[in-house]
Amino acid sequence: MKKLKNLVKSKNNAWLTYAVVVIAYVIMASLRASGNLSSKMSGMLVPICAYVAMALALNLTVGIIGELSLGHAGFMSIGAFAGTSLIVIMQYNGVASPTVRLVVGMIFAAVVTAVCGFLIGIPVLRLRGDYLAIVTLAFAEIIKSLFANMYLGIDETGLHFSIVEKKFELTETGRIIIEGAMGIRSITKISTFLAGFILVMICLIVIFNLMQSRTGRAIMAIRDNRIAAESIGIPVFKYKITAFTISAAMAGAAGCLFGNNYSSLVASKFNIDTSILILVFVVLGGQGNMLGSIIAATALTVLPEALRSFADYRMLVYAIVLIVVMLTTNNPQLKALVSNFKEKFSKKKEGESAGGLANE
Amino acid sequence: MSSNYVLECENLGIVFGGLAAVDQFNIQVAPKEVAGLIGPNGAGKTTVFNLLTKVYEPTSGTIKLNGKDTKGETTVSLSKAGIARTFQNIRLFGNLSVADNVIAAMNQSMKYSLFESTFRLPRFWKEEKAAREKALELLSIFDMQDMADVKSSSLPYGAQRRLEITRALATNPSLLLLDEPAAGMNPAETAELMENIGKIRDTFGIAILLIEHDMSLVMGVCDQITVLNFGQVIAHGTPAEIQSNPVVIEAYLGKKKEE
Repeated sequence: MKKLKNLVKSKNNAWLTYAVVVIAYVIMASLRASGNLSSKMSGMLVPICAYVAMALALNLTVGIIGELSLGHAGFMSIGAFAGTSLIVIMQYNGVASPTVRLVVGMIFAAVVTAVCGFLIGIPVLRLRGDYLAIVTLAFAEIIKSLFANMYLGIDETGLHFSIVEKKFELTETGRIIIEGAMGIRSITKISTFLAGFILVMICLIVIFNLMQSRTGRAIMAIRDNRIAAESIGIPVFKYKITAFTISAAMAGAAGCLFGNNYSSLVASKFNIDTSILILVFVVLGGQGNMLGSIIAATALTVLPEALRSFADYRMLVYAIVLIVVMLTTNNPQLKALVSNFKEKFSKKKEGESAGGLANE
Repeated sequence: MSSNYVLECENLGIVFGGLAAVDQFNIQVAPKEVAGLIGPNGAGKTTVFNLLTKVYEPTSGTIKLNGKDTKGETTVSLSKAGIARTFQNIRLFGNLSVADNVIAAMNQSMKYSLFESTFRLPRFWKEEKAAREKALELLSIFDMQDMADVKSSSLPYGAQRRLEITRALATNPSLLLLDEPAAGMNPAETAELMENIGKIRDTFGIAILLIEHDMSLVMGVCDQITVLNFGQVIAHGTPAEIQSNPVVIEAYLGKKKEE
């Protein structure tokens, strides 16, 4: 019993978080199956999963490595374009099963983004604090304009690629994959809620198992005190880049899931606003708090849709809600009230169980 | 040529923009020996520690650890080679638990890979269990095993200092550098610390070099003392010799007025 209570108490409880995600999935999936979910809500399930995975990925960078990245939309973008391109190519080559295409596409997206994350991490992670934030921001902008100026097509003769201008002509049966600023069009929407759920679960398991291992301990030691970490023989750069690469891979897979949920994909979707939005999920949910990220990402993805009735004032109300939530959740008096309540509640419980023991 | 000393410094020096912060520093520390480094504020004591752990690269001189020149080593590789240290201003991993602070220092000796920990393979469990046991054992030196799961930043000041020493010991050092271990401790705590420094030296058989302002501790526990002033060694000897050395007294108390 005491063990159970300790489990619930700790901020980053893996099992509690798994349970919440599984229960949420079961409820939403059964609601949808029984037709009790509005089409609007059911259309938001995949984006929610993608944003939750993004929030988890960024929380790994911000909360665990302790570095502010403003470029995670860039990794999402790489994953979306790389994964979707491969999915289109597979479709062109006659891979019929959407499940196979999605799984292979997401794995490919994760691998490509991991490689990019590693390469970008080499210079970026030598910086700290504000400098790192600025460089990651710039990187995301570079990625955005790169994809907005990229042309990729496929026909019987193989893949064609050019940058800035479209320098190739496809045969009649050919298919243009990425067409500059217009991005990827007529995508078959193959992302499913189940795939999103599995992605979120994998991200969670990877993060929690990382945190409770020597690697995670080393990373958090670096976050808390870099000089002391070096003095006990922890190679700072190696551990930082490991976590950063994992974070990038997750963002890539989430990007692929996100990209295949819509019929078209444009590079400008993954701009600074998206990076900030994901950062807001993390900050609102609490740095290093995975369950918090999940709840914040879900709530803030649903909120703008729920506020549609406010029409033009939608984003204004959204901002006000955000500010109110941040103020109230950080209000010391409110926190004291909650902890007071918790204490009373747990005391009562303890009393009950003690009484129960006495009766036995 | 093999050496009998854990630490040997020869003519060690560092210059910061024309100022010789440490100059011509020599010291030899044998295994199981406790050496003290004292001197007025700003004498360069902590700079010596930073040179030994390669936080700064010395501009002149050599440092030998167990007879091996440490040229080209880094702070990280020196930890593996056997130097561990504590800090004047406590540097714990505040968000980690007491046990995790200690286990983090065993990172070098743990072998399981990221793959093994992600999939929770047997070697992960085995090594984690062994690490936890060793951490509790080390924590018991300072009677801290009951606090193992407390967040380290919530420990009282004295306990934080003791945890820093425990964490340093977890790296399996042959040389332990203590930077003002008794700072902020009351006389009873200092006396206990003195006893523990002796205990650590005896059970682990390691050499200890410590910086300290508390003279009762320095005189009580050290086998040899080096006195620094303005970056220069002004005296070296046993506690009794240092206590009666007129140069040392002058450095601390100032010159007597000439009559």
